[in-house]
Amino acid sequence: MNSPGNPAFFNLSKTRPAASTGHLGLRSIALSYLLLLLIIPLVVIVRDGLREGLAELWRQITLPVAWSSIGLTLWTAVIMTLINAVMGTLTAYVLVRYNFPGKNILNTIVDIPLAIPSLVTGIMLVVLFGPQQALGAWLKDAYNISIIFAPPGIILALLFVTFPFVVRAVQPVLSGLDRAQEEAAATLGASGWTIFRKIILPPLLLPLTTGALLSFARSIGEFGAIVIVSGNIPFYTQTAAVYVFGEVESENRIGASAVSMAMIAIALGVVWLIKAIQERSRRVSI
Amino acid sequence: MNKPILLLLAVTLLVLLAGCSSNSPAGSNGANDAAPGQVKLILGAYTTPREAYRELIPIFQQQWKEKTGQEVSFEESYQGSGAQSRAIIEGFEADIAALSLAADIVRIENEGLITHDWRSKAYQGMVSTSIVAFAVRPGNPKGIRDWSDLAAPGVEILTPNPKTSGGAMWNILALYGAAKRGKVPGVPADDEPAAQNFLISVLKNVTVMDQAARESITNFEKGVGDIAITYENEVLVGQQSGQTYELVIPSSTILIENPVAVIDAYVDEHGTREAAEAFVDFLFTPQAQEIFARHGLRSPDPQVAKTTQAQYPPVEDLFSIEYFGGWEKATPEFFGEQGIYTQTIAQVPGLNR
Amino acid sequence: MVLTGLVVVYIGFLILTPLTALVTGAFREGLAASFYSLLQPNVLSAFGRTLFVCILVTALHAVFGMVVAWVLVRHEFPGKRLLDSLIDLPFAISPVVVGYMLLLLFGRRGLLAPILSAWDIQVAFALPGVILATLFVTFPFMVRELVPVLKEADRSQERAAATLGANGFQIFSRITFPAIRWGFFYGLTLTFARALGEFGAALVIGGGIQGRTETATIYIFHAMEERQYIGAYSAAVLLGLFSLLMVLSSEFLKRRHE
Repeated sequence: MNSPGNPAFFNLSKTRPAASTGHLGLRSIALSYLLLLLIIPLVVIVRDGLREGLAELWRQITLPVAWSSIGLTLWTAVIMTLINAVMGTLTAYVLVRYNFPGKNILNTIVDIPLAIPSLVTGIMLVVLFGPQQALGAWLKDAYNISIIFAPPGIILALLFVTFPFVVRAVQPVLSGLDRAQEEAAATLGASGWTIFRKIILPPLLLPLTTGALLSFARSIGEFGAIVIVSGNIPFYTQTAAVYVFGEVESENRIGASAVSMAMIAIALGVVWLIKAIQERSRRVSI
Repeated sequence: MNKPILLLLAVTLLVLLAGCSSNSPAGSNGANDAAPGQVKLILGAYTTPREAYRELIPIFQQQWKEKTGQEVSFEESYQGSGAQSRAIIEGFEADIAALSLAADIVRIENEGLITHDWRSKAYQGMVSTSIVAFAVRPGNPKGIRDWSDLAAPGVEILTPNPKTSGGAMWNILALYGAAKRGKVPGVPADDEPAAQNFLISVLKNVTVMDQAARESITNFEKGVGDIAITYENEVLVGQQSGQTYELVIPSSTILIENPVAVIDAYVDEHGTREAAEAFVDFLFTPQAQEIFARHGLRSPDPQVAKTTQAQYPPVEDLFSIEYFGGWEKATPEFFGEQGIYTQTIAQVPGLNR
Repeated sequence: MVLTGLVVVYIGFLILTPLTALVTGAFREGLAASFYSLLQPNVLSAFGRTLFVCILVTALHAVFGMVVAWVLVRHEFPGKRLLDSLIDLPFAISPVVVGYMLLLLFGRRGLLAPILSAWDIQVAFALPGVILATLFVTFPFMVRELVPVLKEADRSQERAAATLGANGFQIFSRITFPAIRWGFFYGLTLTFARALGEFGAALVIGGGIQGRTETATIYIFHAMEERQYIGAYSAAVLLGLFSLLMVLSSEFLKRRHE
């Protein structure tokens, strides 16, 4: 059935070959939708970036100000992902394994970042941590810590925006775990930490990684929150997305296309990684 | 449950698409879709004169109604002058452009969108002027009086990004001009390397670079930085809205001249030329000039300038873009890829925390 | 428990305190001032525009996202894996890049400019551009929710119906769709919520022109610039509340279903 030679190959869900025209119709609709919305814009930007050749593309990406913006985007995303991985897993653990008053409310709060436009996130953070506000001023005067208009602000904004991803990836797997092994280990005298490390964590690594990678991917392109919160200083707090915004609005359009292509490449890489991990897990579990 | 739902969705879709194409602006195609007896003007301006235009537009609307019986409605867009200029080139069909610097109008002109001689209007087409000045905290705790104070260690400066903001370009040129003219103690006149070093030392102190002048000053209001380099009128408008910062005028600064022009390509396409040209003419009338002056702008009209003299102290050493040979020379020299500013910002790693 | 305390503190700090700051900021001058700011004509116009765009975008993805998901799950063809990974791409691409791509296509100097001007259609700096931008960034949500539920759907009933003579559409509407409808509605709400919050792409391609392409989020941005903080915060609270209600109700329904 599953060979191209068999005429029924393309009719997986229907047993009547007469439906194949409907199939092709369906497929062409899907493909044209994809083409129109996704593929053409991507092609257009690649074309624009390569407009003056590969060498110029590379030169634009490696311009110190562009390169530094890409670097900033990456390292803030990495730090945020690490924090998110830890705290997200912890949150999922607490929500699944413990009972306490207000647990349902906490569970609901986890979803809030999904509903808040990222621009609003940026505004909230400035309102809360801006140098004029109580919290921001205190941090500045007492510890000389600047959150807003400095890299920590970027990380904080990203943490807010991507918070649900790790939690929601880990939660279902965690709640489906068989507790028998843990109980056995406990009776044999293993400590809570050992149980967690050797028995609970391994099956969680997969959803954890997926969730973490998702939050990484999401944060590479983040604009609305960061343009408000970061200060946008070249070489210091200007991320790749903000750099592109500046270049789009300036004469250096090819710089915008070049760095956009770099960001798309990174995004593609992460998305493929996620898919590969998911594929591998599916194969392993079969 | 399912078939009806799909049917419902399909019907909704059709209805929406139909509605979309008939009445909303999504269906409009650049032609003026206002009803007869109505005309719509689209204004593309830089961020700072927002409040002035908010006052000017209703007055013009009334005058136009009295004169022609036509209702004129406005769509306004305010963003950084450079960004606005490029948006117009990209297809933002503004009927009138009111921008921060002549170079941004020239850019539109070079695209063939402006074909008349906009400089032949009064005051070379400049509808308002201002100067580069500083906003400082109440009481001026850091004692900032002039450009040299900006290079002092520990001073946090706000200035926008020259890539998108016209105001930022004026700021950089004012600084550099003052240095080159020998008005900054410690920087000899006509000494390029010394002036560039001074630029670096000031840029080192920049905390935030916003997209436009207005965003810059609102950030200052949120408590960021010790001083914002900005338009004098930006500070005055802020003070009018209750902000408590103080205005400091440096001893040497640049005269900011703001052009306005009708965009021929779009007004002809929209059929709004008459109203658009009337609006621009209106902006040069003494009545409008007084309103600009009320919103912190120095009027190029000598009469209005005289009556508002008290508000606008003279500047010790005032120079203009001509000192740099005009925008045609200044833009590439400072902001091009090998430009002085572009090179110096690369030499300022990190930030003086 | 220490762990619980740690998590509660983290969530409180990260999520609750900024939200509280926003809400108190909105109501700083009283409830009346807040409501009054929301009733301004330009605010209503911006919100109306946003609602229109969101409903249209969600409806389009409901139909075409379903088709794409169907093709991805039920068909085999060369290049399917590549397509599959492309679908997730909008999730990771910066909205600014999206807006820029659309500008390259539909701007006055763009690729499609000759066609557009021949037919007198405006996309850039007009609402169609905003709609396209929103369509792009919300692309993955519908498909990603539908694909797993489609995969899980039991095919035996479908096959049975086919042998009994039902056509494709009947099979879909009476058997398949009821089985996947929770995923479908969850996808709808995620799409809608994401569309509500779209900012960067809409700004670049639309220009945020008041009365023409100024959406709710762009209005908030402009209000901040004009020092209209009550208006900005109130609109932000409204927007957040609306999408929160949507997300929460669909989560609730989803959990009920499970």
